[in-house]
Amino acid sequence: MYSSIPKGMTDLTLAIEKAVNAVLTNKYNPFYYHGALPQFYLWVLFLSGLLLFAYYIPTIDNAYFSENLVNAWTSVDYITDTLPYGAVVRAIHRYAGDAMVITIVLHALRVWITDRYRQYRWFQWVSGIVLFLMVMFIGQTGYYLVWDERSLILTRMTSTALEAIPFIGPGLKTWFLNGGAITNLTLSNFLFIHIGFSFSLLFGLWLHYVRMTRPVITPPPAINYMLVAVLLVFVFLVPVTSGKMADINTQPTSFEIDWFFLWPYYLLAHVDITTYWVLIIGGSVALCLIPLPSLYKAAHPVEPAEVVLNKCTGCSMCAADCPYQAIEMVPAPSGSRFKKLATVKAYRCSGCGVCVGACAFDAIDLPNLLDTDVTAKIKALAEAQ
Amino acid sequence: MSEKKVITLICERAADLDSACSASGEVKDVEGLHVVKLPCSGMIQPLMIEAALKAGAAGVIVTGCQIGDCYYREGNRMIRERLLGERTPGLKKNVDRRRILALWLSRPQKERFLSEAKEFVNYVRKLTD
Repeated sequence: MYSSIPKGMTDLTLAIEKAVNAVLTNKYNPFYYHGALPQFYLWVLFLSGLLLFAYYIPTIDNAYFSENLVNAWTSVDYITDTLPYGAVVRAIHRYAGDAMVITIVLHALRVWITDRYRQYRWFQWVSGIVLFLMVMFIGQTGYYLVWDERSLILTRMTSTALEAIPFIGPGLKTWFLNGGAITNLTLSNFLFIHIGFSFSLLFGLWLHYVRMTRPVITPPPAINYMLVAVLLVFVFLVPVTSGKMADINTQPTSFEIDWFFLWPYYLLAHVDITTYWVLIIGGSVALCLIPLPSLYKAAHPVEPAEVVLNKCTGCSMCAADCPYQAIEMVPAPSGSRFKKLATVKAYRCSGCGVCVGACAFDAIDLPNLLDTDVTAKIKALAEAQ
Repeated sequence: MSEKKVITLICERAADLDSACSASGEVKDVEGLHVVKLPCSGMIQPLMIEAALKAGAAGVIVTGCQIGDCYYREGNRMIRERLLGERTPGLKKNVDRRRILALWLSRPQKERFLSEAKEFVNYVRKLTD
């Protein structure tokens, strides 16, 4: 039980949740929907992003317009200053991204503190790390799209960092800039990465959820209203503004840093490029290796549930109740009186015994704790005088 | 000894009773209150509760983690629904509901368990059918 985590930390989390339960009741406790919070902000980002997309022009100069200067920066300026509620939508899009990073980190922390990330859950952990890296990159491309001086510095820093990777570096740089240098095509590539990657998040989320029955992704509406309210407080208190328009012939050197998405650039500015990539790639791999079984020798191993073949009636109740999609109903072998037979996917099984509680026919067992033994023990205890 | 036993079926991650129990699993403060640990409260079969009452137990206490927080995601919610008759398999109709107590307590809530259990034990022992 929780053997790899300091006991005080888990107890503190449980105590905080108990206190929140006392105020908000269990049904409305946001701690119990921690995975659904970033998911909700993702929907907010999709919707606000769609509205911004309608007015955004991904060019760096007025190559397609002759009268006024129309480019990415002026289109963002138009959205912010002229369009009704444009500034609000822009700020929602920006702060929902920040909120998503915060809620993802809180989600990961709670999962880690309560020891719910390893053994049969390693797949959710690793897919979560990949999703987090994708979210970081998507957020950074959002900062390039504004096309102020900060965007120009970030673009140059990224292309230098990519170019330094051995073998594939030059190719990555050409992919990133959509050509050899920063042109109009560069920004359309950024827009494609920003939007295309966002949709590929949905595929990643499917992988993240696929081993869970009834994943908690739709909290009660009251919690969503609360999340929107928190967002709107920042939208109206701290309006989002752009820096000066980027001029490709200048060499701006400093910018205001956003600590949610741009911290890798702080690192990049302070260490050399090789160290940067070693830290970033090494750190990501290390995070993925946290659930590695050999790190947890003390923890008791999972013993998967076993179906008693001649008792199973194929009623599917265990498969419906299994929280990890570990029970699959297969056609019963010929000669059976029943149509279906439950089978356990051992690699998904957590050994929790929910299927034992779901079975009215005594047909599924945990090998290390038979329900007949438990019942016999209960009877013996109750009868003893 | 004549007092009837009370059986506690408890999730090993819910209220931590190790320090309050003797080696055999009897709660030290409350005579005749025995604790049976399971990996998750979701493993409790209504048949187990019926078996305990049939065998002469005065009552059964079912304890899981706080509703909403289950290490195995949904176990405590499932046994709760089974006890309330909202999920199959449930308890038989003739089972005396007064003799079953469900508590949803997190690991540090040992004291709360003991006080609730004491009250319940006194209550079920006075019940006459």
